[in-house]
Amino acid sequence: MDDQHAAASLLQAQTGQLLSDFLLGESPGGEPRRRERGGGRGRRPDFRIPKAQVLDGGERLQIIDTLIAVIGGVYCHLPQKRAAYALDPVQALQLLRAQVVALSEGEFHLALTSIISGLRDAHTRYSGPAAKQGAVAALPFLVEQYGPYDAPTFVVSKVSAPELIKDARFKSGVILESWNSIPFARAVDLHADRETGGRPDARRARALESLTFRALECGPPPDEMAVDIAYRAPPRGTLRETRIPWRVVQPERAQINHQPGSRASRYIAADPAAEAVRRTKKLMFSGNVWEADRSGTAIAHDEKRVKWIRTRFQDALAARIVKNSSSGDLGYLRIWSFDVEDDDAFIAEVMRLLDILPDNGLILDLRGNPGGLIWAAERLLQLFTPNTIKPARFSLLASPMTRAMASSPFNRMEFEAWLPSLEAAIATGEPYSQPLPLTDPAWCNDIGQKYGGPVVCVVDPNTYSAGDLFAAGFVDNEIGPVVCVGEATGAGGANVWTHFDLREALRGTSFELSVLPPDVGYTLAIRRALRCGAADGLPIEDLGVPGIAYEMTLDDLLQENRDLIAFCAGLLSGIPRTVMKVQIDERTVSITTRGLDELETYMNGRPFEAVRRISDGAHQLPRPDAEIIEFVGRRNGEICQRRRLGLNAG
Amino acid sequence: MSLIVAGRIVPLTKDRKVAQSENASFQGRVWIGDDDRIAAVSRGTAGAVTITNSGRSAEFDNAPVVDVGNDLVVPGFIDLHSHLAYAPLPLWTEPDRTVPFQHHDIWPTRPTYAESISWPAYAFIEAAPAELLAYAEIRALVGGTTSIQGSPPSNRPLDGWLVRNIEDETLGGEIGRHQVLASTLTLKPEQLGARAISMRQGATFIYHCAEGRPDSIVQREYRAAHAAGCLQRRLVAIHTNAVDSASYDTWSDPGAIVWSPFSNLWLYGTTTDVPSALGRGISLCIGSDWGPSGTRNVLGELKVASLVSEAKGWGFSPFDLVKMITANPGDVLAEAWQRHAGRLQPGALGDLVVIASDAEAASRPDPFKSILRATEADVRLVVVNGKPLYGTEQLMQQASAAQTSRISVNGETRRLALTRFEGNDEPWSYKDVLKRLEEVRDDPKATIESARRLAFAAIRTGAPPPLRLALDMPTGRVPVGGLPKDLSKIIVPPIQPLEHDEAFFASIHGRGFHEGLLDGLSEFYS
Repeated sequence: MDDQHAAASLLQAQTGQLLSDFLLGESPGGEPRRRERGGGRGRRPDFRIPKAQVLDGGERLQIIDTLIAVIGGVYCHLPQKRAAYALDPVQALQLLRAQVVALSEGEFHLALTSIISGLRDAHTRYSGPAAKQGAVAALPFLVEQYGPYDAPTFVVSKVSAPELIKDARFKSGVILESWNSIPFARAVDLHADRETGGRPDARRARALESLTFRALECGPPPDEMAVDIAYRAPPRGTLRETRIPWRVVQPERAQINHQPGSRASRYIAADPAAEAVRRTKKLMFSGNVWEADRSGTAIAHDEKRVKWIRTRFQDALAARIVKNSSSGDLGYLRIWSFDVEDDDAFIAEVMRLLDILPDNGLILDLRGNPGGLIWAAERLLQLFTPNTIKPARFSLLASPMTRAMASSPFNRMEFEAWLPSLEAAIATGEPYSQPLPLTDPAWCNDIGQKYGGPVVCVVDPNTYSAGDLFAAGFVDNEIGPVVCVGEATGAGGANVWTHFDLREALRGTSFELSVLPPDVGYTLAIRRALRCGAADGLPIEDLGVPGIAYEMTLDDLLQENRDLIAFCAGLLSGIPRTVMKVQIDERTVSITTRGLDELETYMNGRPFEAVRRISDGAHQLPRPDAEIIEFVGRRNGEICQRRRLGLNAG
Repeated sequence: MSLIVAGRIVPLTKDRKVAQSENASFQGRVWIGDDDRIAAVSRGTAGAVTITNSGRSAEFDNAPVVDVGNDLVVPGFIDLHSHLAYAPLPLWTEPDRTVPFQHHDIWPTRPTYAESISWPAYAFIEAAPAELLAYAEIRALVGGTTSIQGSPPSNRPLDGWLVRNIEDETLGGEIGRHQVLASTLTLKPEQLGARAISMRQGATFIYHCAEGRPDSIVQREYRAAHAAGCLQRRLVAIHTNAVDSASYDTWSDPGAIVWSPFSNLWLYGTTTDVPSALGRGISLCIGSDWGPSGTRNVLGELKVASLVSEAKGWGFSPFDLVKMITANPGDVLAEAWQRHAGRLQPGALGDLVVIASDAEAASRPDPFKSILRATEADVRLVVVNGKPLYGTEQLMQQASAAQTSRISVNGETRRLALTRFEGNDEPWSYKDVLKRLEEVRDDPKATIESARRLAFAAIRTGAPPPLRLALDMPTGRVPVGGLPKDLSKIIVPPIQPLEHDEAFFASIHGRGFHEGLLDGLSEFYS
């Protein structure tokens, strides 16, 4: 595909179709388009999306009965949500059931969506008979906020293709004053009432994101076909107004994302709506990267003035070296998502990037990470610490349905470990099963430390689910400080399954789930995450992981997080630094250390020699006849560095 | 389709119209009618008169006649203890273990158990369930088995395909499902109580019970079965090798025990106190158990039983032993199915096996000794439900067997009438079955993932789910989620041959805890 053609194709994808056409126009899935002329070669591709199906009363009952069953039977946060928000979703669904046939299509979906979103759980979503899965209603600009929480300023940080916005003055950097004649801050707060999120700041963060991007698979479309925006150029430019229509686009999934039905798909912790929005942002604002995702080619992010390292995991990762006057060069690793099918490949790519980045210090930026594969998040932690990683643990709701699911011979591999405690709960009255890790502790420590410099992790209320798990693991395993833009992470603490996963797992039990109407589905939190370490036993759901508070600045939004990076650099410079580098050749092993006073050596997991007292410099020993060699460096008794290497002996 | 098999009939029947004694044999014919049941068993050439008198002669006007000469026509063998999901796996021992295991809860905790047994078996059930079943059932047929217990839990009944799967058999819909219940895993008291009720309502319950050394703690499983009311006539207890002789007194209305001496000796160094059980009137059956600690088929296990009987001085005759794989388990099944099995007599199921007579023996060799000494090479024809499924080219042709493919067993050619599990009677060959199993061996990860995606796609589209099986044995010490992180790390051992071969005998010597007793098995095959 030549550049011109590629650009046209990208623009077409960014343009999508107008929301008005999507909602009110002719359905391409039905009768042939009368207005269409010609066909075959040269015909313009039909980007329109079929209109939503209308459900009859029986189909609505099917949906409600299924949701009553699964929310009452396997929804792992039910006791917590009842306590936190004084609500009873099962009773609400029962009430809705009584009037289900009398409601209009719109009323039905609105009522149902309200009950589910009332759980304030982004994992648990109802997906109505969406016109097409994966569709996202989008405005071609990105809004972000900076300044204090109670007096934020909203700014357009990015705009998409110029063809999509007629007003040439509406560009990156303009300050937003109103949204459909409502003061902008008020509009965000009003929209936050419809959003998930356990804390007000989390709801606002998600509202700000979904104000301009709505995953139609997970929620209703915007009420209006276009928005009237009042804005001004900073700092006190003329107040201007512009009208921008909503468009519906298909962000698609990247090649590296997890595949439905794969083994990995049972170990997902993610906000599906946020993931769709993340992909949409990529389509709208980093089009070349989005194109590369589709073809699976390695590419560097295309931010202006910034040199990113080329990676084939560009959908999930971005890395660059940042200059800092006080600390020298630092590494900056953006982890956009953990939505990968192959966590081994993902971790291997992170290791490759770490090798390129300077070892003075590392900023791990997980803001806006909507989660993904739990294994990817929890196994990644080990690369940054000499400590043995303890993963989070997960509980099932103790109920007849979960017991039946765990007892099914077809689920032995998946649930056998939970079964004894689920059965014991009948006698103990425990509301939950025993918590068990989804990432085996051995898998969390199968590689060991790869980055020896100090590390800081940056999160925000849109760091969600597997992102929450990473942040929790970062704190609980004492890897380094967490900086939080907002109060805490997004607080999504669960493993998420789809209706299809549950249907398969409940087959052959007395709780078998029926088929839902076409395109109707839901996602549900089924295993509840609990933290380890000092926070052992604390749930992540609704609480999140707090960190060192940071307020974004205008420079952060427009100058590649300049102030945030400086803030993190300050934190990194305050962490005592040690160094350990290991080199192996045919005959010798060389260990260069700095800041360490003791060195321990292990061969195949056993001590090789007495503890060495060391000072800064190089140390050598003959290459041993072993499969694995491990060095542990201490400073004042505390383990600061650890390296494990395979020697491929024999 | 009706079928007549003429040869030396070994009916093992108590029907005095057929034979004067249970151990009688005679030249004659077995008549299997259109209803797939035995219509008559006749002596000499008088059968035509018998059939005419029964008013069913029209059924046999065009029936193929298979004349096996002096070869033995025997009830199809019944294996009441197997685990089909583990059939392709080789014998297993925990490396460096020097003392026998105490009981069945110990060996699954050993470090190599999951990687050697659970994970390879999982690869097969997940990626090639139909091929796995085909392999296991063909292996049973090769050993003359017509009914087998131990089908893995399945999302669809395994009924009416190849050999009879005892837990799923409905006799073509004549009987309801769940007439035969089974459990490999130890049940809780309330579950045992439910089984007691089911048995009183007519079900048969096959239960792994008290498997271990006599002094071990699992003896309490037998006491629990007693306390729950399970010690009934319809209970079939597998193993009970941990039970002391006096405890059998509590089984006042005795049922049956399935004896698997190979597995017992391999794992525990001892076996069931068979004479004590027999002394209490408990019926005795033989089961081959599973690949990791069992024989390839019940015909092989019969020889192990003989070895043990001889070594311990129990004095079982070949007739006693042959009954343990025919009439005794047949009587157990007859209770559940309300049809005679394991005996050749009018009204019984049309299941039989032809065993080569012992040509080197005296002019009137003991047929039971011939059966005891028979190997896979001596199995000439296997008929299940009146259908010839496996046999020599000549006999399969005589039986008008349709859609057969060639199969080689111990270097000898046989024909196999196999159709695809889900394929409208589309023929299927063992070669194809093996090819798919080898694909799973070569790349467990890719084949498992691909099968999972197909299953998931069926759920998404609402299509009928593909065949799904589950493991029925302990999974062992595994990570949460049951599997290794990297599925490509699953190492599937070579798929074992269908028959007892030299490599099998070589793998017995110096392994397990049988103190050399099982080394004698190879002599039956030399």
